[in-house]
Order: sequence, then C-alpha cells, then structure tokens
Amino acid sequence: MEGRGHPFLPSASKRHQQSSQMKRSIPFEIFRYAAILAAIAVTLVPILWMVSMAFKPIGEWSATGAELTWWPKHPTLANFQFVFGESANDLIVALDHTALKPILSSLLSAVFGTVIAMSAGTAAAYGLSRFGSGQNLPLALIQLRLFPPMAVMIPVMIMWSFLNFNDSWWGLALIYGIVTLPFAFWLMKTFFDDMPREIEEAALVEGCSRLRVFTRITLPMMRAPLASAALFVFILNWSDYLIALLLTTREWVTIPVYMASLSSSMTGQLYGAKAALGLIAAVPPVIMGIAIQRHLVRGLTFGALKQ
Amino acid sequence: MSTALATPALRDEGARLGFRLTLPAQILVLFISAFPLLMQLYISVTDWSPLSGLGWWNAWEMWNSFANYTDLAADGRFWSALKRTVIVMVVCVPAEFLLGLALATLFADDFPGKRIFYSILLMPMMVVPAVAGYMFFMLFQSGGPVNDILSAIMGGPVTIAWLSDPTLALIAVMIADIWQWTPLMFLILLAGLVGVPQDQIKAATLLGANPWQRFTSIVLPKMKTIIIIALAIRVIENFKIFDTLYIMTGGGPGVATETISVYIYKVTTQDLIWGYVAAIALAILVVLSIVAVFAMKCMARARQVPA
Amino acid sequence: MSDLIRISRRRLLASGGKAAVFVAATGIAPQFIRPGRAFAADALAPGMIGGPTGFDGAERYQYGPDTPEGRAIEAAKALKAAGKAPAKIVLGLSDGSIGQLTKPFPAGAPSIKELWEKETGIAIEIVGLPNGQEFTKTMQDISTKGGAYDIYSTEWNRLGDLAETGGIAKLDDFVAKHKPEWDDPKQGYVNGAKGVSLLNQYRGSSYGVSLDGDFQTWVYRTDLFGDAAEQKAFKDKYGYDLAPPKTWKQHGEVAAFFQRPDKGLFGSTDLRNQGWGYTNWYQRYVSMASPNQFLFGDDGKPLINSEHGIAATNEYAESLAHHSPDAISWGWPEQYGNFAKGGAAMTCAFSNLPKFLDNAGNKDSAVTGKIGSMLPPGREIDGKLISRSVLWFSLTGMVSSQSKNPEVAYLLLQWLGSARIYAWMSANPGGYLDPFRLSDFSDPLVRQTYHAYHMDVVRETVARTVPTINYPGATAFHNALDENLMASLTKAKTAEQAMADTETEWKKIARRIGEDKLLEAIKTNKEAWPTVLDPIS
Repeated sequence: MEGRGHPFLPSASKRHQQSSQMKRSIPFEIFRYAAILAAIAVTLVPILWMVSMAFKPIGEWSATGAELTWWPKHPTLANFQFVFGESANDLIVALDHTALKPILSSLLSAVFGTVIAMSAGTAAAYGLSRFGSGQNLPLALIQLRLFPPMAVMIPVMIMWSFLNFNDSWWGLALIYGIVTLPFAFWLMKTFFDDMPREIEEAALVEGCSRLRVFTRITLPMMRAPLASAALFVFILNWSDYLIALLLTTREWVTIPVYMASLSSSMTGQLYGAKAALGLIAAVPPVIMGIAIQRHLVRGLTFGALKQ
Repeated sequence: MSTALATPALRDEGARLGFRLTLPAQILVLFISAFPLLMQLYISVTDWSPLSGLGWWNAWEMWNSFANYTDLAADGRFWSALKRTVIVMVVCVPAEFLLGLALATLFADDFPGKRIFYSILLMPMMVVPAVAGYMFFMLFQSGGPVNDILSAIMGGPVTIAWLSDPTLALIAVMIADIWQWTPLMFLILLAGLVGVPQDQIKAATLLGANPWQRFTSIVLPKMKTIIIIALAIRVIENFKIFDTLYIMTGGGPGVATETISVYIYKVTTQDLIWGYVAAIALAILVVLSIVAVFAMKCMARARQVPA
Repeated sequence: MSDLIRISRRRLLASGGKAAVFVAATGIAPQFIRPGRAFAADALAPGMIGGPTGFDGAERYQYGPDTPEGRAIEAAKALKAAGKAPAKIVLGLSDGSIGQLTKPFPAGAPSIKELWEKETGIAIEIVGLPNGQEFTKTMQDISTKGGAYDIYSTEWNRLGDLAETGGIAKLDDFVAKHKPEWDDPKQGYVNGAKGVSLLNQYRGSSYGVSLDGDFQTWVYRTDLFGDAAEQKAFKDKYGYDLAPPKTWKQHGEVAAFFQRPDKGLFGSTDLRNQGWGYTNWYQRYVSMASPNQFLFGDDGKPLINSEHGIAATNEYAESLAHHSPDAISWGWPEQYGNFAKGGAAMTCAFSNLPKFLDNAGNKDSAVTGKIGSMLPPGREIDGKLISRSVLWFSLTGMVSSQSKNPEVAYLLLQWLGSARIYAWMSANPGGYLDPFRLSDFSDPLVRQTYHAYHMDVVRETVARTVPTINYPGATAFHNALDENLMASLTKAKTAEQAMADTETEWKKIARRIGEDKLLEAIKTNKEAWPTVLDPIS
C-alpha cells in the first residue's frame, strides 16, 4: 500500500506535499501522537488490569479496599491452573466443575449459532437480492434485532423447555442463530446487491441452473465477505451473557455464566480466576479478528463503502 | 439484463429457488415470533404468573381486562427505566461517535506506528462484555485503580464510591460502554474516511478550501451512509444494554442504573408477574416497530446516495 | 509447583458462602486431610441398622430401626424391593453445598451420597444450581413444566410462593406415614412445633424439609476489642468499657470508633446491597417494640410507615458512615473477602463465617483465631433489652409435583434432614448447609467445624431470630422494601418517603395475592416470632 494523503487535513508525506498547498506542521504531529497515546492509555487500563489480575496471587487482588497492587509482585500461573482444576491434583481442592466444559459450551453454541445464522441469512439474502423473494424479511429482521431478547425470554423459555432444549448447547445455538440472523442477512444482502452480475449471467447463458450458479460461482466469489460476516456474528454469539443465563443451568453453562459463579466465602470473589478466564475468552475473537481484519472493515460498513 | 435471461422458464426457476432460499430464514422468523407473540398477547391481559399454579394456557381464568396496560402507563419504575435507557443512549452513542470520528481522523493517513496503535485500539471489542463488567466493577471500587489514577492526577487521596452513588454509578456504566464500543465506531468510520475519493479532495484543495471546508463539504457528505449505519448499529445494540451493566451494578444502587433490559430481567426472575412482563414486551414491540419502519426508510435513502 | 500448592492450600481449599463452585474439603479437621487412616470403628454399633462408619465417634450418627433415619431407609428399601422406586433421584442443590453430600467427612467416613446409595440402592444425581439462582431455576422448571428435578432446594421463605404454584408436592401423607419427628424436644427444631411450622409448612401443611440455618449472626474481632490501648482510647472517648455492643446506640459508637478507612479498617460491614441490605434494617426495625415490632398488623395493614419504620430507616442510612464507601455495591463475597483480610471490626453474616475464616486451613485469612461472636445489638424498652436477628436465605428441600416418585424423594429429604445425618452433614466443611437443629448445637463435630464459642452464640441468636416474610408474594414484598430502602441509602428518598412508598407498594401486592390468603399466613408467621427479653446488665 502506498502512503496516501489525509482526506482533509494537510498531508505530511512527500508525495502529497506537492499537490497540497499546505504543509503539515510539527505541532500537529505532536498532537496526533499525544492524542493517540492518551486513547491507548485509556483503552489499555482495563485490559492491563485484567492481564495483571490473571497473574496475581490472591493476596494482591485487593478488590475490597486493601492496598492496591498494579502489577503482580509474585506472578503466578495458579489462576489458570485453578480454572482447569489442576490444583485438585492430590490436594484437597476440588473444583466442582472446571472451565473446560463451559469453554466447550461457549464454542459449540457460538460456532453452530453462527452456522445457523450464516446459512439461513446468506441463502435468504441471495433469494431476496436476486429473485425478490421474501420482501418481508428486511423489516422483520430489523425488528427482530431491535427487540431486546429479555422481552421474549418468557415464551422462549417455555418453548425451549417444551422442545427439551433447556441447558443444552444446541438449544443455545438455535437461539443464537436466530438473534444474529439479522446481521448475517443484512451484511450478506449488501454484498450480493453490490456484486457485479455479469459472471452469473454468463454462466446462466452457458446453461447452468440458478442453484448451481449460486453454489458454484457466487458463493466461492464471496468467500471474504462471508468470512467477515461470520466473524462478526461469532463475536456477537460468543459475547452473550443474558440468554445463556436464562437458558442454561449447569451442564452447558457458557463462560460468562460460569464466571459469575467463581466466588467463595473463604476469599470472596475469585477475581484472579475470573480474569484468567476472561483472557482465555478473548483468544478466539482475537485470532479470528487478526485472520480477517481487512474484510471485517468492509463487512461492517454494510457495503456502503465502494472500493 | 439481457433478453436471453428474461425467459419465463428462467424467471420461474428463479422464483422457485428464491422461495426455497428464503424459506429457512422465514421459518426461523416465524418460529421466534409466532408463538411468543400469541402467547404474550394472551397472557398480557391476565394476572397470570408462574406463581399462580395454573398452566399458562389456563391464564384466561385470571383475566384482568387490560389492567396490566393501565398499570404500565402508571408504572413509574418502567418509565424511569425507559428514560434512563434513553439517557444512556444519547450520552454513549454520540460520545462513541465523536471519539471514534476523532480517532479515525488521526488515523486517516500513514504515520509511523499506525498498525500497532490501530490493533491496540481495537482490543476492547475482543473482551467479552461480562468480563469487562467484572473488570470495571474492580476499577471503580473506592480503593480501586480509577481512584488511584485520579489521586495521582489530583495529588491527593481520592476515594470516590463510584458504584454506591446513583449518579456516579450511571456515569461508570456509561464509561464502560463507551470504552467497549468506541473501537467499533472507530473501525467503521475509519473505513469510511479512507474511502473518500482522493481526486475530489485534491480538487477542493486546489480551489483553496481549508481543512474544515473540505471536511464539511466533501468528507461528511461522502460518509453520510456509513455514519448512519454506524449510528444505527450502536443505537440498536445500546438500547438493549445489559451484560456489562448488570454485572457492574445489578441495576443499582437501588434502581439508579436500571435500564429496560435490567428492569424486565428483574420483574421476570424476581417479581414473576409474567402477564405484566408480556404487556411491557408488547408495548416495547409496538414502539420499536415504528422505529424499525423509520430506520428502514433512512437506510434505504442512505443507500441511494451515490458513492 | 510451589505456587500451585500455595494457591490450593490458601483459598481454594474450601469455599463457603452461598454461591461457589468450589466444593472442597478444608484443613479444619486434621483427619480430613489424610484419608485412609485406619480406624477401629468400621462396623455399626450394636442395635444400629445404618449410618456412617470408619471414624471415631461414628456411632453418634448411626441409627436404629425406630428413628426417622431408620424408617426412611427401610421405607425406601421396601419401595425399591416392590419395584416402586426409581433408579435415581434428581436433587437440585446450590453449587456451593454439593460438597457436603459428596465429600467424605471426617477421614475414613463415606460421603452422605455414598451412604444413602449403599443403604437403599437408589442413586442420587445432584444438579448444581448457580449463585443466587435457586429460586429462578426452580420457578423455571415449574412454569415451563421442565420436570428436571425430583427435589428442589430454595430459600426457605419462598415456600408459600412455591406451594401456591402447585409446583411442589404436599407432604402431609408422607409425614404422617414416616414420622420425621421434627418437633422432638431434644433433637428437633428450635421452638418445637412452631419452628416446624415456620420452616417446613405453609397454611398448615408440610411442603418442605429444612436443610439449612441461616440465622444472621454477629461476629467481631477479639484482637481489636481486647487490645489494651484500644480499650483505653475508647473509654476515654465514650466513658464506658469497650465490649461487643449490646444496643444499637453502642454499636454505632463502637463502629464509629473503629472506622479507619485510611488504615483499611471499617467499623461494621453488615451487608447493604440489594437483596441483602434489609437484613440489617429488619434487625433495627423489629427491635423497636417489645417483644417485637411487626411488619403487618393482624388486619393485614402494613405497619412500616410509622414512627418506628422511619426511625429504623434513618438509623440504617446513617450507619453507612462506619461502613466501606462501597457498601452498597458489596455482596457477601466482598464482605467475606474484606473480613478475611482484617478489614472490619464487626460484621453480621451467615453463621458459617467463622467456619471459613477462623480456619487454620485458610491461609488467606488474617483473622484466624481473632474472631468472637456476639448477640445482635438491641434496644432497651421497659427495662428489658430487645435483641433481634433475622432468618434469611436458608435452603429448604421440596419435592417437585412433577416427580414420578415423590415418596422416595421425600424419604431422602427426611433422611437428610434428621438429627443424626444432618449434624454429620452440617459439620462437613465442604459446603454451606448450616446447623439449625437443637441436636446440631451440641454436636462435637459441628462444634469443631463451627467453633464452640460460635455455636453457643448461634443457639442464642436463633432464639432471638424473627422470620422474614414467608407468605405468598414474599419476593415482591421484599423487593418493594429493598428498592425503597436503597433509595433512602442513596438519599434519593427521605426515610418518610421511602416508608410511605413501601406501604403503597405492599398494599398493591397484597391486593394481587388476595387478602384472605395473606391474613392467615401472616398470623402463622407471627406465631414464630421470638418473645425472649434480655435483662439489661
């Protein structure tokens, strides 16, 4: 990528200085770095607090008014070992259940929720974009997303119980798939709308069936947008607390719900363990985010950006 | 579209495929709206509660002739929760927007360190909101890091009890929301900003426009669509604010940070007056549907602006 | 590895409070740590048909055929033989209490679960319920007809609400048939039949079996109160000796004396958050009249919007001054954590606080050996001291109406809740089920785990404990009170406004529930209120 000029501020790079009548001042650069560093400081305080907490032994947690420790004086991995139940090894500690199952539950429900939302959403978006089917969907799905999930949880709890979906990852996956369907649909619809149709039409003229065009030509071309939409949907599902709180009890509680129960009366809230788990929970979004960072931007702009 | 593709056979095939492709999404939408809507309509005109000992289908025995709706109109707690939700929204969303736009402006051209700063600024998005809730709970303790930083700045001990004061608690949860979601605004707006065509800027510069004029006359109009989308996403999601807030304050102290979702959560799980909850849900649905239709129109108009 | 061991020994050993996922044994009892020691007593004592074996004193927990435990086991076996028993009973239980059923205690003993399964051949499947979610999950199961449990366990005062739903089974027939002897004068419930009525019954019928004793009990720091310099400074300032306060006025002064936030010490850290704070308000309010200031009159009229209600509310709000600035956002985990670090001079908590914090196995506690117990502060009225505590939370087991085997489910509850098994179970440091039966207070194992000094005070506290609202609408009544008390704590409302608004809300709730249902329940509830008056020393 070549350096580009600033859209409206005076530009500093040589290429643009020629075309720009004003020169960027040194004070501006100082201001820029100062402002960015300030923003980064604010961004990092809670994150560093979490990282530091995850490696602190209990004496340094200081949640309740004792001396404040910013950085672990005696760093330890014990919080991580603890949430995975390792400390139970031939000691008298027993974690009633370790974080493994909740992590599995979060993964399964978020992944399959994403699969449901993306398959139904992509198919419907294509159907509407190309054939004008399902004219009711855009409005219906906006309403669905606008509506606080809390307000439908009573009937949902009754339905899920009737279907025997309570406290199961598949029950969660289904509701996740539904609540994130609007995002999948809207993102994919914009991509399909913006996609040039010449290739599809050429294939049709060649005698391909419409379905074949969709599965063999359109979808492979849309790999990148699909990935960015899927990541966004995944992060939404992965972040949920409220729905899992109401629809799971024990076997398939997700990470945030499990985290709420990490406390004891010997010590109060187990902040170290919570922070350790919080760090672990950040891993999937970070990995996926890095993998498709570029597409993410395009996905989130709903195609309003024509590059 | 070429005439070869407009044959009736192909059109029929398209209509059939379109129907089939939109079917899964239609089923999911129907699945999540039909029963919940009918059930909530039904129980919303009764005093039914799971405590009543009747199955919900027998709720008619507790018919209360719209008393829930008249109660709702007079329910101070509901209206103040709604007011609070709106306050949080009108503070957080513009704050996130302005901060995001300011940061995007600083990032719009190249400078040393851009990539790493950019990645750091996006980190809050990767933190699960529930985890952020625990971290902010600790940060805002009276002997916690926030006061520690303030003490360093003010040069004297600061012991503000953030979460125990109604106003400060509301500010604290808004800070947490702004921290978590400004990065999303930044990401989207930056994408929009770098998408503004360079040649138009150059032209304006040559015509002698100053930075402010370039910003208002070229950049802003070009970014209108993206700004609307970014604001719409945040307004929709912010209205449902629950996870971080609930973990930080539980809606307290008292009802000082009780938003619509928290209020409904409490009446659902503690007071258990489900007939009443249904009435709240339907009232919200009506209001939100109007908002949705309006939003659709805005979106449609925004997308028609030539890019 | 050394870190690993340290973290384990330190805090993660055992957990307490009402909410943990950790159910672990602790180092309280040395024999607990090293299993497998040989014990002589590995067979039942003569004449006994069942009970634990394998440790010294096991015979205390063994039972003959003519005991509630013996009858429960025999009846369950008979049902099993007749093919009328299920392969397993599903028990919903707070996460933090599961250890008491699944961890062997003391060393050499079987676990409670193993013992039942061995004696009856019917398995127990325990489904844990998360932090504070017991009632929510129970209601979910009832209202959605989930049928996931045979036995629910929720806070005791939800019994009325749950009985009205029809979601829990009436146990009268089983009680008549299997005779649990809850009102036994020596081993049974405190206050005999009245105590049974309070904890297990609703409108004259049995619906639950109490499995807990959360009588809120006061503790203080013996090191601070016994310090000569502190004593002198206190006497110089207030003119009387520093001692555990007898009255609320003294309590306020002692708390103010120890309030040193810059040194990390608070005067008194009884809870002030939502869902808990009003336990302190209760204590202040009910002691306003002799023998009690009731919440409702016999005619069902709320009495809180009165001089006494307003005075208690003002006092309650003013007492925030000697608490942590974060008091309103603290739950019990913060309270226990702070107390463990030596951050408070006094507090009021579950009776298990010394079990966990005055505990050689808890290396993180800075207050081991420094905790003393005291009776709740009171008020002088007509030459007598009115000292009152409150029963709050306290789990009760109930049989689901959806259970296909209500009788076996009941038999398990009868067995668990009877004198011998219950004492043995509550002595187990692996969970939160606390002692409440007369037999528990004198039990050597219980006194070892909970400390003898504490058990004597708990027994006296029980005699001074008022029940919270346990009639239908309990949750709604408490929420309305809670919301308004919180408003007065944060100065959003004056005490007068708060009490007036509570009264309005309560009247509305009472209408929803039905006045006649309520009057009867209020009357039954009042019968359980204490009448003890203390001399003024």
